[in-house]
Amino acid sequence: MTDILARRTLRQTALPEAIEAVHTELDKLWDDASFVPDLDRMTFATAVIEAASNVVQHAVPESTKPVELGVDISATSVRLEARVSAFDAVCPDPIDTDPAMPDGEAESGRGLALIRALVTTVTFKRQDGTNTWILSKSPLRD
Amino acid sequence: MDLSYEVKDSYAEITAAGRLNMVSAPKLREMVAEVVASGSARIVINLEATAFMDSSGLGALIGCLKAARQAGGDLRIAAVQPQVQMVLGLTSMDKVLTSYPSAAEAFGDD
Repeated sequence: MTDILARRTLRQTALPEAIEAVHTELDKLWDDASFVPDLDRMTFATAVIEAASNVVQHAVPESTKPVELGVDISATSVRLEARVSAFDAVCPDPIDTDPAMPDGEAESGRGLALIRALVTTVTFKRQDGTNTWILSKSPLRD
Repeated sequence: MDLSYEVKDSYAEITAAGRLNMVSAPKLREMVAEVVASGSARIVINLEATAFMDSSGLGALIGCLKAARQAGGDLRIAAVQPQVQMVLGLTSMDKVLTSYPSAAEAFGDD
């Protein structure tokens, strides 16, 4: 197991403002993991923001408690990983984890297809009332 | 994101500085609607200072393109930065949203 060299976490109510906080945590991750090439930063950050935006826009509360967004991002020398969670959210409908990219003039529906195009693996996990999307990118390129 | 616009001789230029994401996308749609309503349907969005765009931002650009065309005009983008270019390329929207090196060149040929 390769050591984690940088890691940042965030957990807050899943409101649009939380997306700016995710950007801030990504910037801090790169401060601590300066070895990560620019292209990998760009693709990974875009995928993480897409996944977090998906939680803010689509997660449905399981009770009267609002959904919380969790983001756990880490870097090893060869791999980037993000765990993007919706806490206290209902289990989403069956997810097509490899959707086609909408074409033409569609104004939505590109998020997951874009994530698939940006990272190496995308997996989904449901546990204890929490939905988690796990994104990984490896190996890192110079 | 900071949004502003300026009506020029033959087009209106909207400058978008910052991140075009789910927070700022509705604001861009509102501004384009305002510009179109004021009578300028030929619009250039200057993306020189837009360092980041996600699929919500892309959806807004497509919606704005439709709004401009429905009003008899067009919407073009200028000075696209690498991350935005990547998103446009991966979604094949670079074929739908015409990109120009600068705002002045976007309507320079017509």
